[in-house]
Amino acid sequence: MDEDDFLERDRGLSQDQRAELGLGALVFVVMALLVALFVFVLHEAWPSFAHNGLGWFGGGGSVDQELQAIARSGDLKEAPVYTFHAWPLIWSTIVITVGAVAIAFVSSLFIAVFMVEFAPAWLGRILEPVVRLLASIPSVIYGLAAVLVLVPFIGNHLITQSEKASVTPTIQLSGSSLLAAIVVLTVMIAPIMIAVFADGLRAVPRGWLEGSLALGINRWRTFWKVGVRTARPVFVAGTVLATARALGEAIMLSMVSGGVGFAPNPVDGLMFFFEPSRPLAATIIAFDEELSSPPMKHTLYAIAAVLLFSSAMLSVIGWAAKQPMRRYGVVP
Amino acid sequence: MVAVPATAGAQTLFGSGSSAEQPILQVLFRAYNRLHPSIKFNYLADGGNAGVQDVQAGRRLFAVNTRPPLPSDAGTTYFKLFLDGLCVAVNPANSISGLTITQAKDIFTGVATNWSQIAGSNLTTTIDPVGRNSSAGSYTFFQQAVLGGQTQSSNVHPVTSDGLVATSVSKDQSGIGYVGLAHTGKGSGVKTVTLNGVACNQANIKNETYPLFRYIWGVLPTNGASRTVEKFFDWVRTSKQAGQIISRAGAVPAFNKK
Repeated sequence: MDEDDFLERDRGLSQDQRAELGLGALVFVVMALLVALFVFVLHEAWPSFAHNGLGWFGGGGSVDQELQAIARSGDLKEAPVYTFHAWPLIWSTIVITVGAVAIAFVSSLFIAVFMVEFAPAWLGRILEPVVRLLASIPSVIYGLAAVLVLVPFIGNHLITQSEKASVTPTIQLSGSSLLAAIVVLTVMIAPIMIAVFADGLRAVPRGWLEGSLALGINRWRTFWKVGVRTARPVFVAGTVLATARALGEAIMLSMVSGGVGFAPNPVDGLMFFFEPSRPLAATIIAFDEELSSPPMKHTLYAIAAVLLFSSAMLSVIGWAAKQPMRRYGVVP
Repeated sequence: MVAVPATAGAQTLFGSGSSAEQPILQVLFRAYNRLHPSIKFNYLADGGNAGVQDVQAGRRLFAVNTRPPLPSDAGTTYFKLFLDGLCVAVNPANSISGLTITQAKDIFTGVATNWSQIAGSNLTTTIDPVGRNSSAGSYTFFQQAVLGGQTQSSNVHPVTSDGLVATSVSKDQSGIGYVGLAHTGKGSGVKTVTLNGVACNQANIKNETYPLFRYIWGVLPTNGASRTVEKFFDWVRTSKQAGQIISRAGAVPAFNKK
């Protein structure tokens, strides 16, 4: 709609125009809210970043003791303490997120391909609603199930007494571990990926597949080389969505990750996966009772700002990765 | 004609103080509000010491604190409201029946790391201590009463609620944790142990023989205290209904009628 057109009809707007204006205003409000959110979070986070500089992202010292010192300094009416080195929390977030997304991506890809192309119709009709239901289960339920079943199983059956004794009293191998966190997070995000992937695979033009089949190429090779290749932009979109969910997951991870600001050490071999940690989002949950302490508030907002920035970057990376695939791809 | 507002005579009582006791206080506030609909409460959980300062400065009508009065609390009067206790619990598979405060301290500071170091236990496994995250009131209470002010060791698995402490201990034979009395009942799957020979139960907390008990104090200005708040404190201290609420919320009524 151009401007002249608009002026000619100044007596009244058509229904379409009203809808257009209304929706436009809504979009504007959402954009404004988003900008306000970024500004607010960054403003609240600034004292923590300003005090620590790049050291904020580094290691050194015990992050839990630093957090306790920060919390106490809010009550004592002395100079606030801001010293904070978040590396163990960042490392935990990276390991858990990358681990879960990698496993979920591979399994979701195969499950989606099976569901769309190879499953008999009746099985597809069952799988579809099951996947959508799984994708919508609140994370706290996964957390509870993990605390009651998975964590005790890992603690009592997978971790040996000698492994436990070898790390005590530095940390406790209780079952709440990287392994538990990655497994539960994978189960949580895989249904989202499967649902998105399957939608993308279904959107592949039948003609392209039939063309390949007509040349005598078998079904598996056709689907892998034409179907999956065409749907690549959708895989990127689904992975970005699932990664954002994984990054921000707080409640479930605060229940199963172990709750200590410890950086699991890959040098420990297999035991690495049994070691406890606490990712960024779960740290906000663990210390939210201390929000009344101003330095703690700024520190928690700094953590929130890092998560917000990571999610925003994730969207940008997803967009950039899709660009070269656009020509022959289905657009999500 | 002046329209009479629906909230004629309504009064909001502003208080502040302990955050650990906030859940119990909120239930008491709600129950009192149902009895006296014109009285509302506004409670800021800024910590017991900050609450007392608020009362001294006249910013709040009352405060709730978890420690006895100190000389620095000049100009305020303390009332005992009710009692609170922290139990030490183990898995039922553990044959241990009692610990000393020193043994509990050794376990939670990482000095004792194997059950074979603790006399009375049939286990020879690594001790799996479970505690609260550092922002919890019971963390601070345990730190002061048992650990002598030391920070709990990094091998203590911190969880975000008392219920999760009990769950973790009930699922792990080598587990030990500290939880509020309300979380040690029959269905909890944990076994409380005696501390210095005294069992953790309502009776022993009430007669002050159990080591991990503390009074929860109501704090009022010595001069010019609000009559309405005094009446509320009296109700909390003495009424049968408040006693039942306190019991159910996990604390121990001290002076309430049966």
